[in-house]
Amino acid sequence: MSERRSSALLDRTRGVLTRAIDTYRGTRSGARLLSVRARLDEPLRVAIAGRVKSGKSTLLNALVGERLATTDAGECTRIVTWYLNGQSYQVVLKPRNGGAMQARFTRDEQAIEVDLAGMSPDDIEEMLVTWPSSALRTATLIDTPGIGSLTERAARRAWELLAADDEETPADAVLYLMKHLHANDLDFLRAFHDTEVSRPNPVNAIGVLSRADEIGVGRLDSMASARRIAGRLATEPKVRRVVQTVVPVAGLLAETALTLTEAEVRQLRLIADHPPKAIEELLLSTDRFIEKMPELGVTSIEREGLLGRFGLFGVRLGSTLLRREVAATATELAKELADRSGLNDLHEVLQSLFFERRDVLKSRSALLALDSLLRSEPVPGSAAVVAELEEIIASAHPFNELRVLASVRAGWVSGKPGVVADLERLIGGAGNSAHLRLQLPPDAGTAEIRAAAAQALMRWQRRAENPMTGHELAVAARVAIRSCEGMLADLAAAR
Amino acid sequence: MTAPASTSGTVEADPLAAANSIVDLGLKATEAYNRTDLTARLTAAKRSLANPGIHVVVAGEFKQGKSSLVNGLLGATVCPVDDDVATAVPTYVRYGPELQAAVLFEGDPPRRQPIPMDDVRRYVVEQSGGTPTTLGQPGGQPGGQPGGGAGQGAVAGVEINLPRKMLSSGLVVVDTPGVGGLGSAHAAASLAAISIADAVLFVTDASQELTQTEVDFLRRARDLCDTVLCVLTKIDFYPYWRRIRELDEGHLRGENGVPVLAVSSTLRSRAVRGNDTTLNTESGFPELVSFVNEQVTRRGATKLAAEAAGEVFAICRQLEMQFSAERAALADPEAAKRVIDELTAAKARVDSLRSAAAKWMQTLSDGVADLTSDIDHDLRARIRHVIQEADDALETSDPADNWPEMEAWLESRTSYELLANYTLLRRRADDLSGQVADHFREVSGDVLEQFAVYNPTPLLTQAEMDHNVKLEKMSVGKQTMFALRNTYSGMIMFTMLSSMAHIALGPLGIGIGLVMGRKGLRDEKERQLQQRRGQAKNAIRRYCDEVSFVTGKDSRDTLRRIQRQLRDHYSARADELNKSNAAALQSANDVAKRSQADREKRLKDLDAELTRLRMLRDRAAAVAP
Repeated sequence: MSERRSSALLDRTRGVLTRAIDTYRGTRSGARLLSVRARLDEPLRVAIAGRVKSGKSTLLNALVGERLATTDAGECTRIVTWYLNGQSYQVVLKPRNGGAMQARFTRDEQAIEVDLAGMSPDDIEEMLVTWPSSALRTATLIDTPGIGSLTERAARRAWELLAADDEETPADAVLYLMKHLHANDLDFLRAFHDTEVSRPNPVNAIGVLSRADEIGVGRLDSMASARRIAGRLATEPKVRRVVQTVVPVAGLLAETALTLTEAEVRQLRLIADHPPKAIEELLLSTDRFIEKMPELGVTSIEREGLLGRFGLFGVRLGSTLLRREVAATATELAKELADRSGLNDLHEVLQSLFFERRDVLKSRSALLALDSLLRSEPVPGSAAVVAELEEIIASAHPFNELRVLASVRAGWVSGKPGVVADLERLIGGAGNSAHLRLQLPPDAGTAEIRAAAAQALMRWQRRAENPMTGHELAVAARVAIRSCEGMLADLAAAR
Repeated sequence: MTAPASTSGTVEADPLAAANSIVDLGLKATEAYNRTDLTARLTAAKRSLANPGIHVVVAGEFKQGKSSLVNGLLGATVCPVDDDVATAVPTYVRYGPELQAAVLFEGDPPRRQPIPMDDVRRYVVEQSGGTPTTLGQPGGQPGGQPGGGAGQGAVAGVEINLPRKMLSSGLVVVDTPGVGGLGSAHAAASLAAISIADAVLFVTDASQELTQTEVDFLRRARDLCDTVLCVLTKIDFYPYWRRIRELDEGHLRGENGVPVLAVSSTLRSRAVRGNDTTLNTESGFPELVSFVNEQVTRRGATKLAAEAAGEVFAICRQLEMQFSAERAALADPEAAKRVIDELTAAKARVDSLRSAAAKWMQTLSDGVADLTSDIDHDLRARIRHVIQEADDALETSDPADNWPEMEAWLESRTSYELLANYTLLRRRADDLSGQVADHFREVSGDVLEQFAVYNPTPLLTQAEMDHNVKLEKMSVGKQTMFALRNTYSGMIMFTMLSSMAHIALGPLGIGIGLVMGRKGLRDEKERQLQQRRGQAKNAIRRYCDEVSFVTGKDSRDTLRRIQRQLRDHYSARADELNKSNAAALQSANDVAKRSQADREKRLKDLDAELTRLRMLRDRAAAVAP
């Protein structure tokens, strides 16, 4: 909805950056500011973070819809890797010492295999993979090594990327993968907290309960179980403080669904054609699946391949779907599997919480970078830039919304639960679009939205003026009022 | 001692039964000789044999399948399993003629209340749905109040009795809480439990290789317990479990002697239900069961049997001393006078053992005083260090951001420091107990050995003497170790960490001022930040103060208990010696009054008694290698 106002924010951000570039012209920082300004027009940078083996690379592949990142049973991502959209296929290495260099690479069905030209992964700062892909046009994805990794170096690298010392975070938003909540995870998320634009920040992070099929150890109802757990986690105060919401995704299944081959469907169908009882016995364990029932018509190598691609859960689910004729063709099966993997839900959440807020998130990263530069390297004339920056940060409505949102999430704004929930939605807690803010169905008409917005406006004006309203809530109410006014203004402009 | 030792073939079969029969023989002897003091000592040994309590602790990260493993191990569904919520309090599964459950409420000793089996889940799993907590309120506390415990104090654990052959020789399986992960205060509690356990089964699933936290935990567990096994679970589900096992073995290569065993609880429970042996073999559980039977139960039983046998051995020595002296006086009337003199001299020495000025008594009271002060100092230094670290962390962070994390960190950090403090206490107390034992033996050993020399037909060669002295030393050490172990366990399981649970860091008082104004935003924020930091520092100091106050009292009490136990133990030994000595003196004096025929008959009797005692002692020595 707030296209217009957010763009205004982006313009103001661009303005202050331009003034800063003028001020710092000729210094080393000038170039850096130029790149910060250029970043405003790039796709949103989304980092995929999480503990070691939480399925980061698998999820990345699922989001791109191609198998790019290497996945393996052991710990495998050891270099921070950027995946960007581009005209040609290209891999660039940035060593710790020395300039960037192009690397040779090969790609088979498994993933991209990069020749590190004799360097050890420890010597490489980061790797840039340019790949023509429509998914990468909306977002640049960053794959990170896991925290809690036994390879000390690799773990520190993820920390450096996400909790950069100078507060400028290379990523605009973060998908945080958790296998199931773990105290260390919170520790890790603390790294995203910044101090200026918004406090503990459930604004630019989404939790993904990854490897969701493993929660029920592969039972057919595993995803239902995972959804229940994700729902509970999303209401847990400790989690709410750091991520906006939690979505369950069976990453492997999602990845495979998007890259499903006819051969694989044929093999699954052979399994589905056998009596259910026998198949249940066969699928009791991975070892059994590989060794038993030679009459199946699927070789053990093919079976191992299936396990690697689907996991035991995927094989159980896929063959059941085919047997019950829920899906008949490869396309139908792919769609069904993708849907059940939770990937579509994740896409929706990404859309409403990240992409629709792209401009705010972009401005935020840029202003953070500018702020830290201004503070660490003041030059003559920079004081005026500081003042302008401070004004944007303090007055821009989207930032105020984020700030209130963060405070609500942290439990500092107190009031009746219903009222606080209303406030949270209204300022964009569930997503940026008007129907989400007003809790209307997605197909709500303009008239309906306008009526609801006007009602919300009155409701919050009353609350703001009520002497019984607590101080924090009253401040928040004024922000909510502006959000309502903004929605009404947008509707008027659209007419 | 070759001949009697050959009976050890049967002894091997069931060490507990062997020890029990020896104790029974010993009891017969002490009753026949009317030594009620020694009877009491053996009765205590018999009691501990009847109730062996060999603990195997199942520990591991959150959601790795610990409860399923316990169920699989026992072939019964006793521990509740859930996709989401974790076990919140420890579950003790021990033998019982029928399936029964009871809740243990906090207290010293813990209060036990039987509950129906269906209620076990309510007490064991953490409250689901996540209780709504506001900023700074502590989340799930160790031993908190999961379900239904309202008004009855906190739940310290759940005990389940299960009629299983595997448990019948005293095995107790302890399922530990997985709440909060290995980095939390809970994990410190698990480690504390491990320190008095006989074995640890560390559970990790095949989804990934061991993490740094897991390896650290394993390393600590290895330091505290001799028998540690790493169990790789869920191998039915993860196709690459063999790879993971290899990787894990690689990580554990540094931790000498932690084997990795792969199992699947899902296959096991299905195999048990369907009575399917093939599937059972595939589940990997037969191997685990035999490990527990052989390496844990049997070893534990052997240790207990050795302790009991040590008691019998010591008692034989007492009685032998009494009879040897009498025999020496009988066999050679010329020597009678000298024997009486020696015994009188010995009496003086034994008396000195019983007096308050005895060296062992001095060692004990000085040692405990030193120890109390050292432990207290150690605790203070540790807490101080924690406060310093917290202050440093606060300098670079904002409590508004990280208060809950700070709280978790502080809890876990203090728990680990307390654990280290407690480990020090234990080690030093063990050392002290050894010293006291040495000083006691310096005097008592003489008394016992003296009379072997008077025996005209020496029963023991010098080598055998040395061996026996070593055994004596060992049995004394073991005895007190055993007494101490109970003292420690009382403290650690129910006092230290549960009382810590009642200390909370508390919420941070101020809300955050929502400042929306255009000017002075940064200054106002800075001011609020400083205020929050100040508050946070104070809260942390209060917390640490409370922790050192409570644990300081706990460790002083523990040391006092240790002092009392050791004092009572050695006083009882001194009294026994005194009684043996007095009896010997009495009989030696009586020798003169006996007729020649009477003397010869008595001599024969004594030889027979001595032979019997020697045989019993040799059998005891065979059980306590």
